[in-house]
Amino acid sequence: MTPIPLSLYIHFPWCVQKCPYCDFNSHKQPDIIPEDRYIQALLRDLEQVLPSIWGRRLHTVFIGGGTPSLLSAEGLNQLIKGLQQRLPMRPSMEFTLEANPGTFEQDKFSGFYQAGVNRLSIGIQSFADQQLQKLKRVHSADEALKAIAIAKKAGFSNFNLDLMFGLSGQSIEEALGDLQQAIDCQPPHLSWYQLTIEPNTLFYNQPPSLPNHDLLADMHEQGSALLAKHGYQQYEVSAFAQPKQTSQHNKNYWQFGDYIGIGAGAHGKITQQQTISRTMRVKHPEQYMQACLSGQPDKAIATQTELAKDTLPFEFMLNALRLKEGFQPSLYTERTFLSLSSLEQGLEKADEKQLIIHNNENISLSSHGWNFLDEAVECFL
Amino acid sequence: MGEANQNIRNFSIIAHIDHGKSTLSDRFIQVCGGLSDREMENQVLDSMDLERERGITIKAQSVSLDYQSKDGNTYHLNFIDTPGHVDFSYEVSRSLSACEGALLVVDASQGVEAQSVANCYTAIELDLEVVPVLNKIDLPAADVDRVSQEIEEIIGLDATDAVHCSAKTGIGITELLEQLVERIPPPQGDPDAPLKALIIDSWFDNYLGVVALVRVFDGTLKTKTKIRAMSTGNDFLVERTGVYNPKSVDKTELVVGQVGFVIAGIKDLSGAKVGDTFTDSHNPAKKILTGFKEVQPRVFAGIYPVSSEDYENLRDALTKLTLNDASLHYEPETSQALGFGFRCGFLGMLHMEIIQERLEREYDLDLITTAPTVTYEVLKTDGEILMIHNPSQLPPINKIEEIREPIIRGTILVPSDYVGNIINLCISKRGVQKKMQYLGNQVTLEYELPLSEVVLDFFDRLKSVSRGYASFDYELDRYEVGDLVKLDILINSESVDALSLIVHRDFSQNKGRDLASRMKKIIPRQMFDVAIQAAIGTNIIARTNVKALRKNVTAKCYGGDVSRKRKLLEKQKAGKKRMKQVGSVEIPQEAFLAVLRVDDK
Repeated sequence: MTPIPLSLYIHFPWCVQKCPYCDFNSHKQPDIIPEDRYIQALLRDLEQVLPSIWGRRLHTVFIGGGTPSLLSAEGLNQLIKGLQQRLPMRPSMEFTLEANPGTFEQDKFSGFYQAGVNRLSIGIQSFADQQLQKLKRVHSADEALKAIAIAKKAGFSNFNLDLMFGLSGQSIEEALGDLQQAIDCQPPHLSWYQLTIEPNTLFYNQPPSLPNHDLLADMHEQGSALLAKHGYQQYEVSAFAQPKQTSQHNKNYWQFGDYIGIGAGAHGKITQQQTISRTMRVKHPEQYMQACLSGQPDKAIATQTELAKDTLPFEFMLNALRLKEGFQPSLYTERTFLSLSSLEQGLEKADEKQLIIHNNENISLSSHGWNFLDEAVECFL
Repeated sequence: MGEANQNIRNFSIIAHIDHGKSTLSDRFIQVCGGLSDREMENQVLDSMDLERERGITIKAQSVSLDYQSKDGNTYHLNFIDTPGHVDFSYEVSRSLSACEGALLVVDASQGVEAQSVANCYTAIELDLEVVPVLNKIDLPAADVDRVSQEIEEIIGLDATDAVHCSAKTGIGITELLEQLVERIPPPQGDPDAPLKALIIDSWFDNYLGVVALVRVFDGTLKTKTKIRAMSTGNDFLVERTGVYNPKSVDKTELVVGQVGFVIAGIKDLSGAKVGDTFTDSHNPAKKILTGFKEVQPRVFAGIYPVSSEDYENLRDALTKLTLNDASLHYEPETSQALGFGFRCGFLGMLHMEIIQERLEREYDLDLITTAPTVTYEVLKTDGEILMIHNPSQLPPINKIEEIREPIIRGTILVPSDYVGNIINLCISKRGVQKKMQYLGNQVTLEYELPLSEVVLDFFDRLKSVSRGYASFDYELDRYEVGDLVKLDILINSESVDALSLIVHRDFSQNKGRDLASRMKKIIPRQMFDVAIQAAIGTNIIARTNVKALRKNVTAKCYGGDVSRKRKLLEKQKAGKKRMKQVGSVEIPQEAFLAVLRVDDK
């Protein structure tokens, strides 16, 4: 049996300003970000996790946010050194940093690269200034292009662009134009996802007028075709990559792997002796730092829950069915410690609706199911 | 032969809703000292809450009060309440037949309303002394002369001596009570004859069992004696009797002419049906008091649990409701579309709405109610006659000789400004005008209308086209042959039995089209196209479709999102649970009631 891969997620909770669609744990930055204190808190937090992952190899690292590119190069260097002192890290391992245009400076990004980050995920969202303003992004289309140039010059050959479609008042031509412009930047990876209005966001309370269902479906269909034409293979609902450039870190989520989650509001999933637990850190940055730095890091853990066996089929499928290639049945038993019979009922329901294809080698969505992922996942609820 | 107590007065109040019946009865209770001021506030209201929870109107089925008159005598007044809505007109006539007189209370600012007229005629037919009263004379809009004229012209009562009062301020109340004891005759009846007591009302109390409200017409009803319900022949031992003042006060007996309650270990309402007569088991009366008839439901609808697991709970809930409501009928029914449920019979639409709401609120059931229908009489080609409560039970067209539908005779009172609107409404409902009479500014219209057209949305439309001024009352007249057809709705080519309805041929095309387009709006887009058709027999008269959803995909899901995504999908699943799966199509509950709203644009 192959061991369950273990990733590390580090959350950086500050942004220049909060975007109206964003429901992640992000806070407008204070006048001076307490970078040193936060890094010390992260390292202290990591230490309390070590016993639960003792002896396991790290698969990937992802620093997300928030806007972690607000960190200084020295700060990031210090953080990575701290990680290396506590965990065995391989230089070839995928190490991603999320970065937003508007925070890009050549020296800083060269510093990030030298510190050991080998992949950037850049939050472009759109190349249309008008849309960027509606999304309350701090950057312009020009700055987005400059950011990509800076990243490339700093040495990042491996990077992702985050791009949205289905924006307020967007036509199909505009959506495809945006996408073409992203493709022209030749990113090895593209996260191209539909704007979704989430609760607890400004957009939820003041909804923008979004394209209707059929227009959205047209955008998605034609955009996917455009991406395919340029060699981007869709391997997950919103993830497209050039050959061998898929995101190892995100794939680990979707394959129900383990991940340590540290930092304010970070989520983690750890398997120990066939018991799977989810953890979440306290959301408020100050509270988080105080807990970690006052010698009571356990107070930084907001919740820690063992997953009940009967929720595992759903949790696994919620993730694994997002992958276009699906999964091998053995992956399910390895990750959930359940027999395949626990999937039977759900598979039967999904079969009835012709949403799924399954045999001894593989389980994946049908082409019909690929358009109705949520219906398929519901069968396992 | 003896004679009944000459100081008893049994009366009802006939009043339109909001014309001040409750305030007036409160005022009577206060003047006669039934309750102290403090009790007026606490006691009456508290017990009303309690009663409301138990689902019975207290205030009252009856109140017995002692009134010290200016002539020096103390009179024993029994006020017997009547329900206010046309659905419950049978109960109104039961209440009235227990009285010798009635107060016709008219709001001096609003004038006479149709329902008061109908109830007033019932009272006059039953030989009651009707005493007109103008209430709310303290209002600036009160127009005593006009309203007096209306009483005289529309009802035909002499209003010269009508008391002018205000129940709210207390003006004229003593005068009214004086006129009441003077004009309403004392009860007749023989105290020595065998017991005859009319059941005015009965209800189920969780602690006491069935409580019957009775009026003694002959003889005396004593505790610890055996009484017999004459329509069934069942005997019961009287445990308690008494009166409400409005608190219940136990008495050892109810004498001739008296109104009060009887508790006799009766387990369910069928033991003490409203309108039945109690007599002495050992010395039974020869003849039953007239007026007893089984209440016939007029409107039928299927009630189905959304989730089949709730079937038993629904049955239990219906059983409990019938304990307290003998007019609610139900029997098991199956629908191909909706599964197992019950066909329920109601007195009218209001009654149906009340029951539906109680089932959902008090018993926490998720229900689908099908469109209400009336009872059709079907003559088959082989001569057999069927009574059809459910359109899906209609025999095949080639086996039907004719379909007969119930026709009502309705009276509408409306200010002349709105007559045109009302006439248009009645025409659109297949009405035939029988009478139109102008009386000052008020117009009395009489129409014959098919009951099926009345039960759907007639009341609401009537109110809306007359800005609330029109009032309406009706009674069942006869069955008449109609050119009626069954309209089916097909979803993905399958006929959904619960959506079928019987309509007049002339309206069938429009109804079919409207219904199909309404279904299109109600049925959400699904994973595949949903074809909706309206058909008469094999003839498709309308078709439309709900286009398939193109996708239903959560765009983003990373490590931390699981619990939130789970909640979203649970919500999606719960939303479907509230819908009914017909074939592979999810149909929302409101689709089954869409026929109700076909007419409004």
